[in-house]
Amino acid sequence: MPFWKNLSVIRKLVQLLAFVFLVYGSVFIGFYSADKLSGAFPALACAYDAQTADYCVLIPLQHQFGHLLGPAINAGAFGMSVIMPILTTLATFLILFVLLNKAFCGWLCPLGFFQEVLGMIGQKLRLNRTDSLDSKLVDRIRPAKWLMLGLLVVLFPLASGMGFAGHELGDPFCKICPSRILTSLAAGQLNQLYIDTSSTGYMILSIIADTFFGLILVLSLTMRQPFCRICPMLALHAMFRKVGLVRLVKNYTPRCDKCGLCAKACPMDIREIHTSKEKDILFPDCTLCGRCVEFCPDKDVMTMKYAVIPIIVSDPQYFKERNRAQKAWEGKQKPSRRAKKA
Amino acid sequence: MIRTVIGATLIVALFSFTAQAAMHWSPAPMKHGHGGHDRHAGKPFVLTEGAGAAVTLLTPKLVAKPMSVEQARVVVTSTGMDNYHALVATRSSGDLHESAIRYVYMFGKPSGESPSDIMAYEKSALEIEPSPYAREHWRYLSDTEVVFKVRYKGQSLPLAIVTMTTSNGGSAEFKADEQGVVRFTLPEDFSDIKPGRMANRPGEFILSARYEEGGGTHLTSFSSAYHVNPNHWQSTGLGVAVVAAGMLIGGLVFVCKRRKEKS
Repeated sequence: MPFWKNLSVIRKLVQLLAFVFLVYGSVFIGFYSADKLSGAFPALACAYDAQTADYCVLIPLQHQFGHLLGPAINAGAFGMSVIMPILTTLATFLILFVLLNKAFCGWLCPLGFFQEVLGMIGQKLRLNRTDSLDSKLVDRIRPAKWLMLGLLVVLFPLASGMGFAGHELGDPFCKICPSRILTSLAAGQLNQLYIDTSSTGYMILSIIADTFFGLILVLSLTMRQPFCRICPMLALHAMFRKVGLVRLVKNYTPRCDKCGLCAKACPMDIREIHTSKEKDILFPDCTLCGRCVEFCPDKDVMTMKYAVIPIIVSDPQYFKERNRAQKAWEGKQKPSRRAKKA
Repeated sequence: MIRTVIGATLIVALFSFTAQAAMHWSPAPMKHGHGGHDRHAGKPFVLTEGAGAAVTLLTPKLVAKPMSVEQARVVVTSTGMDNYHALVATRSSGDLHESAIRYVYMFGKPSGESPSDIMAYEKSALEIEPSPYAREHWRYLSDTEVVFKVRYKGQSLPLAIVTMTTSNGGSAEFKADEQGVVRFTLPEDFSDIKPGRMANRPGEFILSARYEEGGGTHLTSFSSAYHVNPNHWQSTGLGVAVVAAGMLIGGLVFVCKRRKEKS
């Protein structure tokens, strides 16, 4: 299969370009422009990276909850100076999000790309990869992203701003975010890889951050997208997914009940795409990577659309070629669980 | 009583420090230790050795607004524009031309301008340009390298001598290269360092340069805050060790999972 026809290869190239832009982008757009492009980018682009070209929306959200909304609640004064920055952040996020919907996760997020690259290395190292997690485990993990969003992005910063919690919890997600460590390391900085001994709170947060990062380094080799499953950005995207222009559509057929290849191809283990009889199959955990469409063997059953324009439609010929390309990539390693089941 | 002593100490420290330097800007001592989170509040600055100087505030769109100085003090209030502004004091007396420049970040609506423009804009004949200025989430830290460029009438000034003084008593002299670029490490001269960013007050460093041409003398200063390097309470070595521990845990999870699958 020529690489320009392979959606996964195209996606990897886009991810690579996005990684270069988001990690080293200020080299191209200028040092000071780095924090000015949007300030509300819907993927984990880190402001602590000295060469970044954009900001992750979770940074201003935490700061605005902690520095604006919290003190405003305490003072009982909600002026425009409190409301406007939060609305501006959300509006900027939404404008970008409408354009690409959850594809920000699957196509642009630097941490998502890093985990996929590690996964590819794991495949080449012939580690015994588990392509699909146990469904009970997946169900147990799913609420974690909402907890991460609710506690680390909203509640803790708010509590810190209202004086109920220390400064440590002013931007707790950033404190534990593995993308902060990854992107700053990629930019040649060691200053985000540390244990902070200035207080117990900072020490705990830095230990969690570094442990997370170590876990991701190893787990990504053997399972798909370990951090994405608990990422608060995934939850934030899920809240607004109905307004995005990119859609994932299914034309259910009875053959779907017997197949299930789409669910096995899904890196986020969304088994509902296989069982759902609904047209809209953009589930909260979806990253719009398009693998389900690629690995659907039936014509026109699954489609990824941009508004009303189909981007990729499931097709038996494409499926055959894509499957062959996948096997050629995986080489003579032990067959994966997916292959065994197939 | 304690407040009075702290206030007096601050004023003494400020003036004993400023007495050694050319006309320059420094933040005015605040009534409260913490600046608070009102991002739109005015920011007061003191112009030292600046009697008779004309003061302007240059907006990100490079529009100069005259500022009134009262008892060597100016308050920079919101211009409604986000981004870096330049506080510029200039004074000419006979053949002596002096300037003092400080960059101030003000919040407001996005200016749509790159701070590169205001840094590169000729604010005085002789100027020390930060290259680059420490932007948001970045700050000047002790024991880290900084880079500046010395310009005269918009052109690089090769081999210029730049003098640095700090509010912590540090001083040094540096020579620019052929391109007018001067690199140096900010001194690690804070005493009584406490763990934590919020626990330490920033210091001030002033860079000044002098250039003589055609019988005229030009003096300029650039001033900015610098902070205690967090390396004092952040250990990269420990960080690497914890990442390794995380990898070990990940490895154990993988091994356990594999055994479970086999059994």
